[in-house]
Amino acid sequence: MSRLRVAAGVAAVLLVAAYLHDPPWAGRITSGLLDWEDDASGTIYRWTLGRASFFVPGDATAMTLPMRAVFPGPNGAPVTVRVSVDGRWLADVTLDHPDEWVRPVLPLPAKSTGRRFRRVDLHVSRTAVGDDILGVQTGQIALDRAP
Amino acid sequence: MIDRVLRHFVAIVAVCGMAGYIWLFSRPAADAPIRSDGYNYYLYAPAWLIYHDLSLQALSEDWYGGTAFPKFAGMVRSEDTDRWMNRHPIGVAVLMLPFVIVADLLTRWSNLPRDGFSFYYQHAAALAGLAYFLIGLAILRRTLSRSFSAQTTLWTLVAMTFGTNLFHYAVYDGTFSHVFSFASICALVEIADRWWTRPARWHAVALGLVAGLIVLVRHTNGIVLLLVPAWGVSRWPEVRRRIDELWQRRRAVLAIAAVAAAVVAPQLALYQWVTGHWLVNPYAVHGLGFTFGSPHVWGALFSTERGLFFWSPVLLFAVAGLFVARGWARHVLGPSVVVLVLNAWIIASWMEWQYGASYGHRAFIDTFGILALFLAAFFAWASARPRLVPYVAVATGLAIALSVAQMIQYWLRIWPTRDITWDRYRALFLTFR
Repeated sequence: MSRLRVAAGVAAVLLVAAYLHDPPWAGRITSGLLDWEDDASGTIYRWTLGRASFFVPGDATAMTLPMRAVFPGPNGAPVTVRVSVDGRWLADVTLDHPDEWVRPVLPLPAKSTGRRFRRVDLHVSRTAVGDDILGVQTGQIALDRAP
Repeated sequence: MIDRVLRHFVAIVAVCGMAGYIWLFSRPAADAPIRSDGYNYYLYAPAWLIYHDLSLQALSEDWYGGTAFPKFAGMVRSEDTDRWMNRHPIGVAVLMLPFVIVADLLTRWSNLPRDGFSFYYQHAAALAGLAYFLIGLAILRRTLSRSFSAQTTLWTLVAMTFGTNLFHYAVYDGTFSHVFSFASICALVEIADRWWTRPARWHAVALGLVAGLIVLVRHTNGIVLLLVPAWGVSRWPEVRRRIDELWQRRRAVLAIAAVAAAVVAPQLALYQWVTGHWLVNPYAVHGLGFTFGSPHVWGALFSTERGLFFWSPVLLFAVAGLFVARGWARHVLGPSVVVLVLNAWIIASWMEWQYGASYGHRAFIDTFGILALFLAAFFAWASARPRLVPYVAVATGLAIALSVAQMIQYWLRIWPTRDITWDRYRALFLTFR
């Protein structure tokens, strides 16, 4: 193999790596979330599983994350959702009343990376096991963006 | 021209496979690549790599609260140890692991969720299936090319790839076990043939490794290991001579057995740890088993529901090939027939003989690397009879076209996933909406 080919191969790998470090499509990636549904009142929501992840734009300074437990925790206890951003703990949100939407406004800490999107992870303290395994309902997220 | 196409055949199929894959998994409401049985086969990989946990409990806790897995997975806890029992063995996950490791590195690099089921993991698991299928195809080409003309080899590869459900299980259901078994059985045939004709030291280790993987991926496929000692024995009087040959090669035979045992040992250890028993039928708790006395032979081979030959009619030529095989193919006929018949009996005896939701009869795919030898034998026989050639060519072309059309119907979700009656088949025949 000629030096030129090796150099071209290395350059291609580096370019792909640079592209994948901050992929423009990351904002569309979700994991652990079921399809969108709407309830009788027309509220749009998605169920999480025991964990779920999604992305928000990197310039967001705060997000309002609507959540509803629907099913209580063991012995009627509240359900807690741990929220992390880019792998760092952000907040524990307690859902005291199963039927009530809770809309916490979560300030997003200053970015530590220059990526386009930030990863939000949810960990739910209990799951409801039936035909499906369900965490909590999440509604449409509202974002505050940097001016 | 034919030589060139044959040389690039695997690359051509790879391009077709990637095109099909991208279409299937980028359409609206596409299925996740890791689903159904594929989920169970894959499950070990994230449990080992990300959760560092052999018991699957950590994964269950993170995703499902620790008390359950999705219903379709049929995961149960062992009554003896309370540990999770997965009905599928570890072999597919072992073979997927290099792909999943790359997916894990990319996941960290791209800051995607390192949860075992996000974007890269899904596609790495499925593309592993496509990759092993291509490896199997390349090995099969090598085996066939030694004994058949380029034209016969090419026709055989085209017919096996597109005239059966093999391509579908590489592209759409690549996380299932079948293409992994296909590749490893193709490898077994190739190495066994080389070992008996021109033995080299590495053959014994390779045979042991492949034999172990075959069992690790799907335990019932262990019957194909009969090919190794019986390869080339086509008449009873040769059995005595073969026993002598095996005795002369006893060190190599021991090496094969030792390597195979080492490969299978982790699975046995896992069974022991999970259930307290070394050998387990993981399906027993689901009420499933074999009914060897009343196999569903008609259903498995000819029915509209799942019949192998109904859905992949080109394989009838492979059956004809068993009768007209000459030369090398005749030489390997005996053990191949024994394995194919035993395999069909085992498949037809499984209580769930339709093998759940699937396109065609998926359980036979594993041994397509053996059937292909006799499809080639038939094409070689036909090519020596010029008056037959046009008829065989047209019939093969039609069978391939039908198979591709029906596969696309399955992709478009036209076919019910099981229990297709004749009336239903006729009503849906070549409809694409």
